[in-house]
Amino acid sequence: MGEEGVSAAATSVLLAVVVAVVKGVLIIFVLMTAFAYLTLAERKVSARIQLRYGPNRVGPFGFLQPAADGVKLFTKEKVAPEGRDNFLYLLAPALAACAALFAFSVIPIDQTICIAGTHGAGPLSASCPGGYPLHWDLAHLNIGLLFILAITSLGVYAIFLGGWASNSKYPLLGALRSSAQLISYEMAVSFALIGPVLLAGSLNLETIVNQQHSLWFVFLQPMGFLLYFTGALAETNRLPFDLPEAEAELVAGYHTEYSGMRFGLFFMAEYINMVTVCSIATVVFLGGWMAPFFFLPNWLGPIWFVAKVALLLFLMMWVRWTFPRLRYDRLMQFGWKVLLPLGLANLMLTSVFVALR
Amino acid sequence: MSVIFGLAAVIAFLGALGVVLSQRTIYSAMSLVLNMVALAVLFLLLDAQFIAAVQIIVYAGAVMVLFVFIIALLSPGAEERLRSVELRLLLGGVGAVAFTLLIGRLTLNGITVGAHGRLHGALGPFSPAAVNAHGQVQTLGDQLFTTYLLPFEVTSLMLLVAAVGAVYLSRRRRQLA
Repeated sequence: MGEEGVSAAATSVLLAVVVAVVKGVLIIFVLMTAFAYLTLAERKVSARIQLRYGPNRVGPFGFLQPAADGVKLFTKEKVAPEGRDNFLYLLAPALAACAALFAFSVIPIDQTICIAGTHGAGPLSASCPGGYPLHWDLAHLNIGLLFILAITSLGVYAIFLGGWASNSKYPLLGALRSSAQLISYEMAVSFALIGPVLLAGSLNLETIVNQQHSLWFVFLQPMGFLLYFTGALAETNRLPFDLPEAEAELVAGYHTEYSGMRFGLFFMAEYINMVTVCSIATVVFLGGWMAPFFFLPNWLGPIWFVAKVALLLFLMMWVRWTFPRLRYDRLMQFGWKVLLPLGLANLMLTSVFVALR
Repeated sequence: MSVIFGLAAVIAFLGALGVVLSQRTIYSAMSLVLNMVALAVLFLLLDAQFIAAVQIIVYAGAVMVLFVFIIALLSPGAEERLRSVELRLLLGGVGAVAFTLLIGRLTLNGITVGAHGRLHGALGPFSPAAVNAHGQVQTLGDQLFTTYLLPFEVTSLMLLVAAVGAVYLSRRRRQLA
């Protein structure tokens, strides 16, 4: 009896580890591919908007361009500034990439699948008695939303250390700007996210999606969605909020002194962060894996999810190539004097609504 | 579990050592971030997911970012150590022993050590099972707004006073200049 218990527990742990590793590798692979093709998409979209063709020489329609870019980044000479803090200088891009990849681990792409008839092999679950609940997200946390906020708030260290360790004036200015900007806009983003959390009554992302089966939260929280999307543009350093790397004044901001794949990692972090914030918006406001119209089948969950994320990503690119950059003091004023009060007002209205419901 | 606990504990310890031993402020600050993230992992192992997330958001994400921000603005040089090694060891040792005894006494409150080093004691009202049945966030919220309402409100008042003071000081300096 005792030995059987031990071996069952060992199998359970082993199974959990294997499932986690497979999911982790899959997530990294998909995100890397998404990053590669987002760079191409960005160039194609910008070309369309500016009446150009965009990259169309490598492969049909330029589809192999990301591979060529990758080879170029890997083989470039790595130029590094004198007087840098070598440890932090090398740590920063790695930290940026890790934080970006890590944040995605709690995003549910579809409903939990219940594999029946595997008694006691997996974790106990009320919704899946006697079976193995296979979650689409790597870490099924009760506080998934808070986890994402926590991890994205760590991303600022990468940008900051990159700018600081370079021992150069433009990167330092970019790093300072980015810390101030991220702290300011994180408030607005958090307030925007509390609204849907109040409506759903949970911080678990899967529960939040399931609460939207009749009506997506974007219709109940239009203000929250706008606030979140604006804040998300600032959090990912996208135009019109890309002051940390404003090329007209700071050369390239915090990553001026990085070249080759070291720059590539910062670049990758930016695009993966875009995917993450768009996924959060999809999960919290756009009903996650739910079909957009009632007559469309719900079992195509992951496809709806990807379609919604792609739509939001396109919106981000559209905004980037349409609006000019804000001046830095205007940016801070906008964050503290417009977004934050609006977020507070939205939160109060939502609280009253929830309390009276 | 115990492997993760060991790793997190060692990292937390190394981070704490780094805060004290490194002579450059930015390394001290980053060591403190490392220590806090490791502590968050320990909270996760205790099934306290909410506290773990708050630990990272508030301390590693907000407070330490401000610290680092100030370090970059002032860009201080390396730390100067004025007191002798013996004096530092003596003062630090006395403080460490006193603090360990205090924490140990509080931890062992109501718990007795029996044969084979097993611990005996009654579960309090906030055992993991009780907290999870009610919901972690709900339990914390209930306690904050009932039992600990006064300290909670006094703390928020204190933060408000600090914020108003900071705004006043920064505005006065601008008017003087």
